[in-house]
Amino acid sequence: MFIEIGHFAVVVALVLSVIGVIGPILGLKRNKPDWVRVARQAVTLNFFLISVGMAALIYSFLTNDFSVKYVMATSNSKLPIFYKVAGLWGGHEGSLMLWVWILTAFSTIVVWLHWRTQPAVMPYLISVQSVIMLGFLAMIVFLSNPFERLFPIPADGRDLNPLLQDPAMVVHPPMLYLGYVGFSIPFAFAMAALFSGRLGEEWIKVTQRWTLFAWIALTTGILMGGYWAYYELGWGGYWGWDPVENASFMPWLVGTAFLHSVMVQEKRKMFKVWNLFLIIVTFSLSLIGTFLVRSGVLSSVHTFATDPGRGLYILIFLALMMSLGFGTLIVRSGRLKSQIEMDSIISKESVFLFNNLFFLVAAVTVFLGTLYPLLVETLKTAKVSVGPPYYNAVFMPVALGLLLLMGIGPSIAWRKASLENLKKNFLLPILIALVGTAAAWLIGIRTVFGLAGAMIVSFVTTTIVMDFAKGSTLWARRYEFNYFKAFYEAFTNNQRRYAGQITHIGVLVMVVGIIASTIYQTEKVVPMRIGDAIQLKAYTIKMVGLQEVTGPNWTAQEGLFEVYRDGRFVTQLLPQKRIYTASQTPTTESAIHTVNLGHIFLTMPEVGPDGVTVRALINPLVLLVWIGGGIMGLGVFLNIFRSRSKASL
Amino acid sequence: MTKGKKIGLIISILIVAGGLIYLGMGQFGQNLVYFFTPSEVVAFSPDYYGKKVRVGGLVVQGSVQIVPNSLKMKFTLTDGAAAIPVQFEGIPPDLFKEGKGAVVEGYWDAEKQFHSNMIMAKHSEDYMPIQMKQAGVQLPKKDFLKTLQQ
Repeated sequence: MFIEIGHFAVVVALVLSVIGVIGPILGLKRNKPDWVRVARQAVTLNFFLISVGMAALIYSFLTNDFSVKYVMATSNSKLPIFYKVAGLWGGHEGSLMLWVWILTAFSTIVVWLHWRTQPAVMPYLISVQSVIMLGFLAMIVFLSNPFERLFPIPADGRDLNPLLQDPAMVVHPPMLYLGYVGFSIPFAFAMAALFSGRLGEEWIKVTQRWTLFAWIALTTGILMGGYWAYYELGWGGYWGWDPVENASFMPWLVGTAFLHSVMVQEKRKMFKVWNLFLIIVTFSLSLIGTFLVRSGVLSSVHTFATDPGRGLYILIFLALMMSLGFGTLIVRSGRLKSQIEMDSIISKESVFLFNNLFFLVAAVTVFLGTLYPLLVETLKTAKVSVGPPYYNAVFMPVALGLLLLMGIGPSIAWRKASLENLKKNFLLPILIALVGTAAAWLIGIRTVFGLAGAMIVSFVTTTIVMDFAKGSTLWARRYEFNYFKAFYEAFTNNQRRYAGQITHIGVLVMVVGIIASTIYQTEKVVPMRIGDAIQLKAYTIKMVGLQEVTGPNWTAQEGLFEVYRDGRFVTQLLPQKRIYTASQTPTTESAIHTVNLGHIFLTMPEVGPDGVTVRALINPLVLLVWIGGGIMGLGVFLNIFRSRSKASL
Repeated sequence: MTKGKKIGLIISILIVAGGLIYLGMGQFGQNLVYFFTPSEVVAFSPDYYGKKVRVGGLVVQGSVQIVPNSLKMKFTLTDGAAAIPVQFEGIPPDLFKEGKGAVVEGYWDAEKQFHSNMIMAKHSEDYMPIQMKQAGVQLPKKDFLKTLQQ
C-alpha cells in the first residue's frame, strides 16, 4: 500500500516539474508574477513528494516487502537494518531516487534563500532546475521504476551485493551525489544569467559557497570511495583508474578548474565565457558520471544489471542538457566580450590560465581513456580497455605542474609581477626547495618522481608559510599584537585567502601520502600454512590459526596472524574470507594495523585444504592521503563559513 | 598586452598542452588492451603471440588444477566453440569459480598456452539466492558473453 502511495507521489512530482519548467517562462512572457510563485510552490512541493517516495521505499526495505521488485533485487531478510536503508541506493533505480531527492531539496533551499535577493533571475533558475528534475523523474517513472511490483512474490530477496555491505555504503554514494547535484546550482545560476542577460559577476558571487560545497562533497565522496576500495577490494591500492572512479573524477577536475578560474572574473572581469563554459561542462560531466556508474555501460564493481533502453534515454537527455547549455552560451557569447586584456605572462592571471589548462588536459585524458572503449565497441564491435600506465604517464607531470602553480599562484601579483615581487616571494622558497631536494637525496630517495615531489612540496610549503607569516607580521607591527592574536586577525580579516591556503596545505599532505605509499609500498603474496612466518621489511608476520566465524548474513574463515618487530609482539591481525549466505558470494576482508601513519595490510584471498594464500603489504604514510583530505575539508569549511562583514581578499 | 607577448603566451600554452598530449597519445596506443573470445585466440596469427590481450569465457567444470604451495594454477576457458588452456599465477578474484565466467589478461604464445596473472570475474545476470532457484523463479538470461564483457 505504502509503495503505491510513494509511486503516486513521484508521478505527481513529474507533473509538477512540468509546471515548474513552463510556469516561470509563461509568467515572464505574460507578465504574471503569480505564475512564478506557483512554480516555486511546485518545486517546494516536489521536495515533499519525493520524500514520500523515499519513505515508502525505505519502509518496504525495512519490512522486507519482496513483492517490490527493487527491494527483492537489492535486499534480503537477513540483511542488517543498517544496510537495508543503504540498500535504497544499492541499485540503479534507487540511486536515481536519491539523486532527484537531493535535487529537490537543494532546489527548494535555493528558491527560498534567493527569492528576495535574486528576483530577476529567479524565474529562469526555477525553470532550469525543473528541467533537470523533469528529466530524472521521467526516467524514474517510465524506465527505472523502483516501485514496480513482482508476482509471484518471492520468498526472499537476492541480497545487496556483498561488496556493498560496508559502513561506507551509507555515506559514500550520498556524498558523491551531494557533489554532482550541488554543481547543478551554479549551473542553473549560470543558465539563468545567460537567459536573463545579467552577465556580470553576480552569478559567480551568489554561487561561490554552493560551488565550494559541491566541490568538497564530491572530493569527500571520491576520497571515501578510495578508502573503501582500499580496504574492501584488498589489492592494497586506493585508486585504480577504474572507469567508475574516472566517472566521478572528471567533474571533479573541471569543477576544480572552475573554482579557480571564477576568481579571475571576480577580480579582473576576465574569462567570462570560459567560466560559463566550465560550469556547463562540470555539470554535464556530473550527469555523465551519474549515468555511467549505474546504467551498466561500464565494467566495474559498481555496475550490475543492464537495460539497453535506458542508454538511449540517457543519451538523449544528456544531449538536450548540453545543447541547452552550449547553445545558449554560443547565442549569448557576443555580449560576453571582456574588455580587459591580460597584461603580462608573468602574472596571477596567467597562473590561473595554466591551472585551467592543466586541469582540462587531465580531464580530457581521463575522458578519452574512459569513453574510448565505449566508442570502439559501438563503432567496431571490438572490445578494448585502457591500462593505468596511460593515466599515470599524463598525471605525474600534470600533478607536479599544478602543485608548482599552487605555490606561485597565491603569492604572485595580478596584472604584471615585478622582478621585486618575484624576488620577495620566491627567492627563499626556491632556496628551500633545493635544500628539500638535497635532504630527500640524503635520506635515500632516488626516483625522479620522489625527488621532484620533494622539491615542489618544499617550495609550495615555504610559500604558504611565508604567506601566513607575512599577514601575521603586518598585524603584529601595526597594532602591536602578540603573534597569536596577529595571526588570528590576519586570518579572519582575509579568511577567503587563508582558508584557501589551508586547503592547499591539505593537498600537499595528500601528495606526500600518495608519493610515499606509491613508491615505497612493499608487497608479498605467498602461500602459507599455520606455523609459517614471512618477513616483510622489519616485520615478521606469523600465521597461528584459522577459525570459523559467523556473522548475521555470512560465515567466514578467519585467519589469526601475529605481527612481530625485532622479536617484540606488535599486533594481531584477523583477515577473513567470507561467504554471504543468500548469494553464496565470497568476499575477502582485509585486516589493517596502523603504524606511524602507515599501514600493515593483510588479506587472505584464498583458503584451501592445504593452506591459505596471503597478501601482505606495507603502505608507508598512506593515511596522509585521507588526513590531507580532511585538511582540505577544513579549509573549505572555513571558507564557506567566513563572516561576510569583513573584507574579502 | 603587446603582440609579441601575446604570441609568447600562446606559444607557451601550445608547448605545455602539446607536450602533455604527446605524452598521453604515446602511452595511449601502448596501453590499449583488446578483448577476444577463445575462438579468436585459437585462430591468432603469430603477430599476436606475446601481445597483451584480454580473453573472456567460461571456466570449464573440473578443469581447475591448483599447484600446491604456490600461486600457480591451470584451467580451461571456453566460449562453447573453442577452449584455451590458461596458466595462471597470482590471486584469482573472489568470484572466480568453475562453471562461471571470467576474463583473463595475459598473452598467447607459440605453444598454444595462455599466460596470465590477472583474472577478472563478475556477477552475471543470473546472480540469485538458492531459495529462489529452488522456487523456480527465472530471471531473463542475457547473452552470456555480453554480460561478461561489460
